[in-house]
Amino acid sequence: MSTLVTRPRARRHPAERRSWLLTVVVLLIVAYFLLPLWWLAVASTKSNSDLFGSFGLWFGSHFNLTRNLADVFTFADGVFLKWLRNTVVYAVSAAVGSALLSTTAGYALAKLRFGGRNLFFAIIMGAIMVPMTALAIPTYLLFAKMGLTNTPWAVILPSLVSPFGVYLMRVYAADAVDQSLLESARVDGAGEGRLFFTIALRLLAPGFVTVLLFQLVATWNNYFLPLIMLNSPEWYPLTVGLAQWQATAQGGTGAQALFSMVIAGSFVSILPLIIAFLFLQRYWQSGLAAGSVKQ
Amino acid sequence: MTRRQSPARRREARAGYLFLLPFAVVFTAMLVVPLVYSAYLSLYRRQLVGGTAFVGLANYARALKDQEFLAGVGRVGLVLLVQVPVMLVLALVLALVLDSGRLHLKRFVRLAVFVPYAVPAVIAALMWGYLYGRDFGPFAQLAKALGVAPFDFLGNGTMLGSIMNIVTWSFVGYNMIIMYSALRTVPAELYEAARIDGAGEFQIAWSIKVPALRPAIILTVIFSVIGSFQLFNEPSILRSIAPNVITRGYTPNLYAYNQAFAAQDMNYSAAIAFLLGFVIMIVSYVFQLTTRRKAAAA
Amino acid sequence: MTPRTLTTTALAALLALGLGACSSPSSDTTATSANPATTATTAPSDFDKAMATPTTLTFWTWVNDIQNQIDLFTAKYPAIKVEVVNAGQGGPEYQKLRTAIEAGSGAPDVAQIEYQYLSSFRLTNDLLDLKPYVGDITGEFPGWIASQIGGNGGIWGVPQDTGPMGFLYRTDLLQAAGLKTPATWAEFGTAATAYHTATGNYLTDMPGNDPGQLVGLFWQAGARPFAYDGDKTVTIDLTSDKVNQVLEFWQPLVDNGAVATDPDFTDQWYQGLANGTYASWLTAAWGPLFLQGTAGDTSGKWGAAPLPQWQTGAPVSGNWGGSTDAVLASSPNPVAAAELARFINLEKAPALTLANEQFLFPAMTSILGAPEFADATSDFYGGQKVNALFATISGTVSTDFEWLPFMDYVYSSFNDTLGKAWADKTDLKAGAAAWQADLVQYAQAQGFTVK
Repeated sequence: MSTLVTRPRARRHPAERRSWLLTVVVLLIVAYFLLPLWWLAVASTKSNSDLFGSFGLWFGSHFNLTRNLADVFTFADGVFLKWLRNTVVYAVSAAVGSALLSTTAGYALAKLRFGGRNLFFAIIMGAIMVPMTALAIPTYLLFAKMGLTNTPWAVILPSLVSPFGVYLMRVYAADAVDQSLLESARVDGAGEGRLFFTIALRLLAPGFVTVLLFQLVATWNNYFLPLIMLNSPEWYPLTVGLAQWQATAQGGTGAQALFSMVIAGSFVSILPLIIAFLFLQRYWQSGLAAGSVKQ
Repeated sequence: MTRRQSPARRREARAGYLFLLPFAVVFTAMLVVPLVYSAYLSLYRRQLVGGTAFVGLANYARALKDQEFLAGVGRVGLVLLVQVPVMLVLALVLALVLDSGRLHLKRFVRLAVFVPYAVPAVIAALMWGYLYGRDFGPFAQLAKALGVAPFDFLGNGTMLGSIMNIVTWSFVGYNMIIMYSALRTVPAELYEAARIDGAGEFQIAWSIKVPALRPAIILTVIFSVIGSFQLFNEPSILRSIAPNVITRGYTPNLYAYNQAFAAQDMNYSAAIAFLLGFVIMIVSYVFQLTTRRKAAAA
Repeated sequence: MTPRTLTTTALAALLALGLGACSSPSSDTTATSANPATTATTAPSDFDKAMATPTTLTFWTWVNDIQNQIDLFTAKYPAIKVEVVNAGQGGPEYQKLRTAIEAGSGAPDVAQIEYQYLSSFRLTNDLLDLKPYVGDITGEFPGWIASQIGGNGGIWGVPQDTGPMGFLYRTDLLQAAGLKTPATWAEFGTAATAYHTATGNYLTDMPGNDPGQLVGLFWQAGARPFAYDGDKTVTIDLTSDKVNQVLEFWQPLVDNGAVATDPDFTDQWYQGLANGTYASWLTAAWGPLFLQGTAGDTSGKWGAAPLPQWQTGAPVSGNWGGSTDAVLASSPNPVAAAELARFINLEKAPALTLANEQFLFPAMTSILGAPEFADATSDFYGGQKVNALFATISGTVSTDFEWLPFMDYVYSSFNDTLGKAWADKTDLKAGAAAWQADLVQYAQAQGFTVK
């Protein structure tokens, strides 16, 4: 029964059961989800005057996309590229790190018997409830005392902790790794380390990818933490950088041209994640399934 | 507690601690220590003139009487009661429809609904801010073209709804995927049997699929409770276009932020953040308790 | 619009670079007055030693192209390296500054700080008294600026730019509506109503989110709502007759919608200025060039005038905005840091580029009167000598205006009290009373004595 969990059922749907009526209704709902993105895509092709002078959901009189993109990538010596690089570095290192930590911890909590493991798990669960402001400001003060603020570590280190990731991996490991398999390997004299690396890790891969993607998205989209941790624009991730451009667009001298640049920059900045989702959908659905079935 | 354990058991326990250790270290350093520090801060009061003094729980007592804070909690409570059900029902319906296999373009629908989750809250709020615009937003443009008065999305009475809409837009897909993934694991034989008995698709959905989704739904509700109480990014970005509508205490998190920075009162801010965490814990706990009781009664 | 603005910026940068390259050798000789070696109390040998010691200064500022001035500075003092950081404009920068100070590391040596925030940082002893380093520089400025940087016998920032308030308006639109430039507030009120009735548009936009603008108008009316004795006593008086006079004037215009109350510095507001929804802007000396970048398509249709007056006779104005460069008390390099703040703002070459290339309205009397600055005419304003006009206005700003040592709180409270009443079109005096009550409560909770 434990192996049931992860594999999607191969159900076949006869074509005649599909309904165009239902599809049309659902497509209307889909339109709601795509509308803002359509607006963003269209708006990023507009010149600043078209942005306010033409209908928001259709193209303006000038197709200004290349010009806007050129602005985005060349403004302030190409700082946007640095932000993109920072975002990738922060998100990938936080995601890989937190997925590794969550995997070992989740495996230990699910599969290895040791004193206090339920207490550990309860504490980790409680941590999910902690509001971010309760953490971000004291973390800032502590980091500053250690001279870590305004460095990449200030963003990466706090993002390594994902209580939800541990929860997910614990639930996932409980089902995906067969206890009898471990027992028989132990009887054969295999060490715990070998058990984990040769047997468990492979079985845990979909869960690992799920946690990885979650933390990738969370770090990629994080605004508050880098906002208070970083002072130099050269360390900003995209979210903070774009918000600063927006603020400058609203308050700066003769800065109106920035509006179209902020919009084009926003458009560019969401593309990598969307592409990542397109390619990695399969993995993380199976990982999530486990997390949500068992409580 | 067994006093004497077999060597194998001891090895296993040692491995358990070793595997847990890396996470435990980072967890302690990045979560427990700041939290303890914050708790410590919340027991003090520092005045701009007059220095720092230990005040015990005075900051908490002040927060419980602070109308701005309580109004903010009430506001996110309303989000919880209104937005969360709408979002989760929509997510559930979409998940069931996807799972029913009666849809054309299934992969496209699944992805399209999910994509907003990949959009940072900052950018989502920025986009919707433009869409809501009183003069240049497409809705206002349409209204003008039709000769009717444009709807004010950013007014005192409508702002909270507009924020709820942004949150719904961002997270329906995320919740849908959780529920959909859970549905995929329900053994197909259960449906087939019901179908042979002549049960309709709605009946199957209501009496087999939804009960099977129970743990997934509980999970999404708890995440939504946490998410609504911590509402911050959307109001803080929209504040720049509606500065007199979104007050400094619009949501508790925004209030904590403004207490820390505009009012330079880190201590009070820490107390507010703690109280907020406490409220989240209570609400989540009460919710779990009631669902458990209902499950037992059923 | 995008290409044009970018080209202009690029041109300005090129020009400035060229200028920096040519003028750096001569900058020694063009030094105006406050030569630190003669007026400062730092011994000349100590000063020379400090400026010859390899040092890296961190400088937080949001001025565009400040590298223009830094290049001049480092050409003169090659041993000093300056690292420029844009940590945000106004509020966001102060927040970062505070948390850095709080944490005890990460604060810059020199930071751009607006006038009204100087006392907030002085209160916590975070600013260095510049007097021992740069001497008494107050004589370089109009009296009201000198009073803004003083306090407790020290000098707490080097003035960089200022914002004496004036009135920018669409000459064509007012003419078409048969209105003349309002010289008094009474005329302004009548004109606003008439204009709105005739056109459906607004003579001006007066938002509920910009305390700086409204406080500038209080200042002009002679109200003195804030004061701080430099120790523990503050004065908060937002219910005075002078404040009421301003609020009573605006109340009917706000109530009946004769003026717009849209938040300023939003995209909607920019468009309103560009497309004629608002026919004027009650703004400051930095406004003319700002507007030029914002509403480029309406070039030639604008005019500039002093603020409408409460009484005919001697004109009076208030100030809105402008900044200083201040040195943090925590700076390990006070001599070099103070010299940086002084050099870029008081030496003629960098100060002139700040005014002419980066469009900051100058604080120094000598720059205000310099022909390179004052004689400039502007096509955007139909050939008017706008710089000269605002230079004159700068002389009419009254001197003794003070601030509270917690302006972040004052302004954030404004948005929820008086500002909210403004936006919601409710009783403005009640809004001011709520603002007053909130500030008094805060000040008392923070240990101040409130007078």
